[in-house]
Amino acid sequence: MELVRNWFSKFSLDRIQLELMNTAYGSGHASLSRLDPRGLLIWYLFFAIVPWFVNSLTVLAGMCLFMIVTTILSRVTPFIILVLCLGLIGQVGWLFIISLFFGGDISSALPLLKLTLKLSVVSLASITVFSGLDPEKISDGLLALGIPAAFSFSLSYGYRILPVLFEEFRNVLLSYRLRGKAPSRPGLLHWRIGVYYLKLLVYAFFPLMLATAKRSRTTVEALETRGFSYGLNHPEAKKLKLSHLRFQMHDILFLTGSAAYLTLLFWIG
Amino acid sequence: MPNMPASLPQEPDNQDQPLIQISSVSFTYPGSEQPVLNGATLTVKPGSFTAIIGGNGSGKSTLCKLFNGLIPHYYSGDFEGEVRIAGLSAQDSTVAELSRKVGYVYQDFENQLVRPTVLDEACFAPLNYGLPDYRARATRALELCGLTPLATRFIWELSGGQKHLLALAGALSLEPDILIVDEPVSQLDPQHARQVYEVLRRLHRIYGKTIIVIEHHAEFIADYCHDVCLIEQGRVVWQLPVHEALNRLDDLHRLGIQPPEVTQTAAALEALQSAALHGGEQNQQEAVDSLRSDQSNQQDATTYPITTEEAQRYFARMLSAPIELFGQHKQQDPTPPRASLPAAESRTVISLKQAALTYKTIRKTDHPVLRGVSLDITEGERIALVGNNGAGKSSLLRLIAGIAKPTAGTVSVLGQDTRSISLEQLSRDVAFVFQNPEDMFIEDSVYKEIAHCLNKRSYEGAEATIERMLRAFRLEELRERDARLLSGGQQRRVSLAIGAATTPAVMLLDEPTANLDLATREELISTLQELEQHVHTVLIATHDMQLVSRWATRVIVLHEGSVAADGTAAEVFADTALIQRAGLALTQTMELSAGLNLRPHCSDPAELAARIHRILLAKESLPHGARPQLV
Repeated sequence: MELVRNWFSKFSLDRIQLELMNTAYGSGHASLSRLDPRGLLIWYLFFAIVPWFVNSLTVLAGMCLFMIVTTILSRVTPFIILVLCLGLIGQVGWLFIISLFFGGDISSALPLLKLTLKLSVVSLASITVFSGLDPEKISDGLLALGIPAAFSFSLSYGYRILPVLFEEFRNVLLSYRLRGKAPSRPGLLHWRIGVYYLKLLVYAFFPLMLATAKRSRTTVEALETRGFSYGLNHPEAKKLKLSHLRFQMHDILFLTGSAAYLTLLFWIG
Repeated sequence: MPNMPASLPQEPDNQDQPLIQISSVSFTYPGSEQPVLNGATLTVKPGSFTAIIGGNGSGKSTLCKLFNGLIPHYYSGDFEGEVRIAGLSAQDSTVAELSRKVGYVYQDFENQLVRPTVLDEACFAPLNYGLPDYRARATRALELCGLTPLATRFIWELSGGQKHLLALAGALSLEPDILIVDEPVSQLDPQHARQVYEVLRRLHRIYGKTIIVIEHHAEFIADYCHDVCLIEQGRVVWQLPVHEALNRLDDLHRLGIQPPEVTQTAAALEALQSAALHGGEQNQQEAVDSLRSDQSNQQDATTYPITTEEAQRYFARMLSAPIELFGQHKQQDPTPPRASLPAAESRTVISLKQAALTYKTIRKTDHPVLRGVSLDITEGERIALVGNNGAGKSSLLRLIAGIAKPTAGTVSVLGQDTRSISLEQLSRDVAFVFQNPEDMFIEDSVYKEIAHCLNKRSYEGAEATIERMLRAFRLEELRERDARLLSGGQQRRVSLAIGAATTPAVMLLDEPTANLDLATREELISTLQELEQHVHTVLIATHDMQLVSRWATRVIVLHEGSVAADGTAAEVFADTALIQRAGLALTQTMELSAGLNLRPHCSDPAELAARIHRILLAKESLPHGARPQLV
């Protein structure tokens, strides 16, 4: 019981928020963060699409190995890795169990392993990019690659208001707890407590939305007075915003290195 | 002038031309029947520092939205009249054009910050306008606001005051001629508010910016502004120099705006004197007569002082004797101590033993907010927690409410260790009222908000309790309204009713007077009296020293996470060194009574006036034999 209780307390909202913010903005010291976001985004695009069309186990395993290296380089927090592993095991393990029910045997594990590898490559590539680069760089990279400014701005703004939303959400949740009633008996493995919290999460959503809607009125007005829509319609503003992006030697090295490694992989496979 | 002096080459030739000219503007928001502006006419000269005052819903903010063209371009309602800003016609210009000349800092300034770091935020506007020197502009703006050391920090790491300064820097980066700041004091503690005003004063004096603030704290207006413009029902009633404006006591009173406390004191004193005059006692009359003639020789009888310094001179002259003597007088003054100490046999309700609290920050460092606090709070105490921002007031309340658990030491409420029981259980005994009432609203009507807890926890006679609460907090009319859409004062009453409904043993209020206008604030203080019928022990974390001196029986001063002082209001406010160290901001009345050497300090203007009146009478009626002391 104590174990379950500890587990609950580890997953406090504060901790999730801290981990998310660390993943997003704590990457200033990661070696990948010095790369040009445009190059890295194209690199990511490749690893997000190509694995789906590759069938060779060797190539996939090689790619996965490469992704593990880049993920380590991006200094991701253990929390994100834990979520990823839970996701992968849950997804694929579930499929494997179902396949056993419908007349599959241990041989059905192999195709599932392939699927796992594909999923891992794609997810690890995403983690590399989103953890190795802070949202500002991603947003600049997207803008440079021709994505509309309104979209790339919402990406960086989304991260910016994350702590605000968390704060708001915590307060609403707290209101429910301060004025609500927890189950008197915890039940087996604290299931009653679990259900109680899940219900609160759902209830809290509605007040959170209303509060956010009220806030955004000022934000939208302030954007107007600070020339945001002027910037949208004037290409020179965009050019100025992106003038700090530069392709450098290490960008070229990183991209050619990746390309060389992939060629080698495909040649072996 | 045909020959411009060589030393003033940049002297603008349109010095006397108004910077802002609004001529009979009327505006109705779409979907509304009532016009918000109703023939408003206003002229603002370049280089002025103007306060716009008016009651709630008088159209102050709407008026300011004319200046950067948000009205009529962004809000498309019924618009009539003419607006000219810095020579441009607002109707023919876009919001983007006007915004380069007019910077705007919102009342809820936090929602105005859209970038992750301080420097990014300051660069945002010039980048949008494609100005190549955006970095230099941002650096300059941060420098002006004193934020340069924080340039690489994330916005969510800043304090409220720093965020406000950043919103200001964000507006300044476009180097506008006009700066509009909407109610800077309402969301900030007094110390930070003063910091913001000091920056505004520098911008005004050194950089010649035209500053317009929407404000109803008369003390700040008196200290910083030059002109005051009064709005009532969408119309500009008058626009006067600050001294004259704050002496229009009738107008201010009618609109629920409190004049500066020293002005109130002077007015109250004069009322007392004229009452005494008509009362008829011979030597009293003489006394007041001589005083009056004194006064009229020295200054216009109808103008009262508005700042503490002025008031000090004004009253000192009136008392016209060595000030130390009045100090002696005061010691004989039979003012009873206000605080009634709790009886010795009262039981301890809250007990903290070496309680400490540490937060983790994004940079994975530990940040201690409370360092070993030990306190015992007994039943029936009215406690005010004071201290500057970051001193740990809110954290202490959260520890007592069980929202945060101590990282070291213990906190117990009614003998229960907060670590061993759940928040739901503890909240039966402890009610916590958030700083922002909106955070407490989880239902869609006032009635349901109050009923929520009573029903969930199946209290006896819930129906009757709800009705009683609605009546006690004057919410009967609003029972079906959504609490989020009420005014600030109404929201505050709902939050207090929610807290009081379960008749908890302890009630914790975080900044209950923050962002209330003064009329609502007065109302809150009387609501607190009402609260005592339902809850015995109340703790308030506050910056509002007037509330402290009028309400609390015990004042606990926190400084850097430790208790710096603990005693009655009179004891705490008498310690000048402590006040300095803990960053407390005294009210004008307290400062004035300190300046006039009256001890203990008076807490409200009427009391001070009465006291000065007594001194004056005593002085005049002293037998001549006693006079030599005074000469």
